[in-house]
Amino acid sequence: MNFDLFKKTLANPLALAGFIIILCILMLALFAPVFSPYDPNEIDVKSILLAPSSMHWMGTDGLGRDVFSRMLYGGRVSLLVGLVAVGISTAIGIVLGALAGYYRGWVDTLIMRLVDIMLSIPSFFLILAVIAFLTPSIINIMIVIGLTSWMGVTRLVRAEFLSLNEREFVLASRTLGAEDFRLIFTHLLPNSLTPIIVSSVLGVASAVLLESGLSFLGLGVQPPQASWGNILTDGKEYIQFAWWLSLFPGLSILVTVLGYNLLGEGLRDALDPRSGSNK
Amino acid sequence: MISSMSAEPSSLIYMVAGESASASITSNIFNSLLKYNKDLDLEGELAEKWEISKDQKTITFTLKPNLKWADGKPLTSADVLFTWQAVINPQTASPYASDYALVKQAETPDERTFRVTYDQAYAPALDSWAGLQVLPKHLLEGQDLHSTTFAREPVGSSYYRLGDWKHGENITLTRNPNSVLGPANIEKLVTRIIPDNSAQFLELMADNIDSMGLDPIKYSRIIPARPELKKRLNLYKELGNSYTYLGFNLKHKPFDDVRVRKAINYAIDKQEIIDGVYLGLGINIASPYKPGTRWSNPDLMPYPYNPAKAKALLKEAGFVDTDGDGILERDSKPFTFEIITNNGNKEREKTAIFIQRRLKEIGIDVSIRSIEWASFISRFIKTGDFDVVILGWGLGLDPDQFNIWHSSQQKPGQFNFIGYNNPSVDRLLEQGRTELDPDKRMKIYHKFAKVLLEDSPVVYLSAGYGLTAIHKRIQGIINPIPPAGVGYDSQKWYIPEPLRRNEISTN
Repeated sequence: MNFDLFKKTLANPLALAGFIIILCILMLALFAPVFSPYDPNEIDVKSILLAPSSMHWMGTDGLGRDVFSRMLYGGRVSLLVGLVAVGISTAIGIVLGALAGYYRGWVDTLIMRLVDIMLSIPSFFLILAVIAFLTPSIINIMIVIGLTSWMGVTRLVRAEFLSLNEREFVLASRTLGAEDFRLIFTHLLPNSLTPIIVSSVLGVASAVLLESGLSFLGLGVQPPQASWGNILTDGKEYIQFAWWLSLFPGLSILVTVLGYNLLGEGLRDALDPRSGSNK
Repeated sequence: MISSMSAEPSSLIYMVAGESASASITSNIFNSLLKYNKDLDLEGELAEKWEISKDQKTITFTLKPNLKWADGKPLTSADVLFTWQAVINPQTASPYASDYALVKQAETPDERTFRVTYDQAYAPALDSWAGLQVLPKHLLEGQDLHSTTFAREPVGSSYYRLGDWKHGENITLTRNPNSVLGPANIEKLVTRIIPDNSAQFLELMADNIDSMGLDPIKYSRIIPARPELKKRLNLYKELGNSYTYLGFNLKHKPFDDVRVRKAINYAIDKQEIIDGVYLGLGINIASPYKPGTRWSNPDLMPYPYNPAKAKALLKEAGFVDTDGDGILERDSKPFTFEIITNNGNKEREKTAIFIQRRLKEIGIDVSIRSIEWASFISRFIKTGDFDVVILGWGLGLDPDQFNIWHSSQQKPGQFNFIGYNNPSVDRLLEQGRTELDPDKRMKIYHKFAKVLLEDSPVVYLSAGYGLTAIHKRIQGIINPIPPAGVGYDSQKWYIPEPLRRNEISTN
């Protein structure tokens, strides 16, 4: 990754906005224990479903727990799941994509057909089916999302490798007798890193969304631990009356996903030779 | 009058459907031999009188004279016999067959007499005849009850007949002029099928339905906060028909140890659950019977919240925190288990969170998992693959709970899935079934409840109130609510002329 790319990306105001949003959310989640006024799991029977006030900035839920504190801790879950899941899927994607793009032939065919098979199954249903066999927990969610969303990265890396393989510097290196390992890790991979970063950033957004969806359905993070998805579920019942239970988690998911998408698209524009900022 | 329910009946033959959605419709269409009156004593419905023989094995029912089906054909003892034959027919596969299969012989000496003989005296017999809706032989003879069109266009004998059934939308009942119990006041009952509870409530707020069951937050927070709703609706509160419990898998260690079960019972603050989950709209119970009724033993008290005693009991059972991490260990294994419950039931999920917190305080690490109903039953309950479960049982009118607690009822799919096996409870349950004298029977069940409480195979958590909102235009509702419930004698409810809905607004 080069520093120049970042500078170019952040020159784009939308990408800058995305970057700032993500930075803020990361800080809030990271320092959740510092910022949260209450223990997120502290039940208070006397303050059930209180509207937002100076005491409880985002109101309280059906068990009298402070929604603001739960939102902060829920943010940790969302971001952790997003980052780890994408880490897993990117790692798998790089390995498989590199194998397919570098060796081609039957290895390529095999891996690409596997990608096609995986892509033919709607990913959310695949995840639902897998989760049904496992105990729902953060770790399982991260692994399952990671294991079911590597296909895009694989294709990307393969395409990069295919085109880089024909470039002069790779050919030169090969004629000089460089081994496969050396070629892959010192020439091909570093040169395909930027599109991978773009796709990972966009991937985090969809992983955050997936986790919220699973928690909303009760298949994700289990009580009493908070997640934006399960706060939203609690709110569904009382959407007429306790609007704060639906509004804040909904808004947080929206803003986070928006932030990652803005940043991801900004990065992509900065990379794209056809985009205006690259002249 | 327009009401709503969340599920559509699969069939309007109750003995086949066996679901509450079906019962709520068929109870307006069909009659049974007997029924419970407003104080929950049995009285005749189709039967004018009934006699029990000296040896207590034979019951003779005499039907009221000149009974007619809605289509004008006479209703006779042949119909009752036909219904009994249908319910015990293995092909019908009725979930209620077991009660009626105990009848050794059934006969109809004449058109108005129906006589059943049991092998031995069977105390829940009368209750079972109050639960059997009599079907018309002339329309059903020779038909398969599972596939017959009768299930979608039933002909009964009670206050209403089926007017119209728009699938997935509503079921309309119209007044049956031939009703054997005399005509009902309200001409038309429309039941709208609205699966989502919040959507039902929206319809109630928009005045598109006249009644619905409420949860505690709607009852005590939302409606009182909205004057326009308060002005329009009457709220009713009655002791509900079920209780929530925490059940141990008695075949798993350490729940086979009564000290552990008692410790957990002492460690759970039931009042806190009632306040926090039911907003105070529930009560503590100490036996599986409705408090205040004959079968509920008034001397029994629930386990008080006493964490010190809980800790002492656990210590006695060998649980000590040896590594100082706040979690108790026995044989260097930490005391940790999973509570499962069905998802979608917010009360149970919240209850689990309260319990989790209290047990953590005495050093037990509990995780919670809520599972979709179908897989909850088939994957966990039927296979016995669980540690601890939060579920509910009904508070039935007859005290017989053989199916739930008797050690013979542990096969997959049967109700004693916690694996309870106590010879003295078995004996009491068997005695209670054959004892017809109400006072002796009461003593048996009082003793049964006492043993059960001491043994603590389940922790009784609470019995929530049944909460109902009914539009003020519906009048004639008995108040205060009789023991039989707010819906008792609903055929006497009426809507004064100026308050009636226009025909068009029902759709």
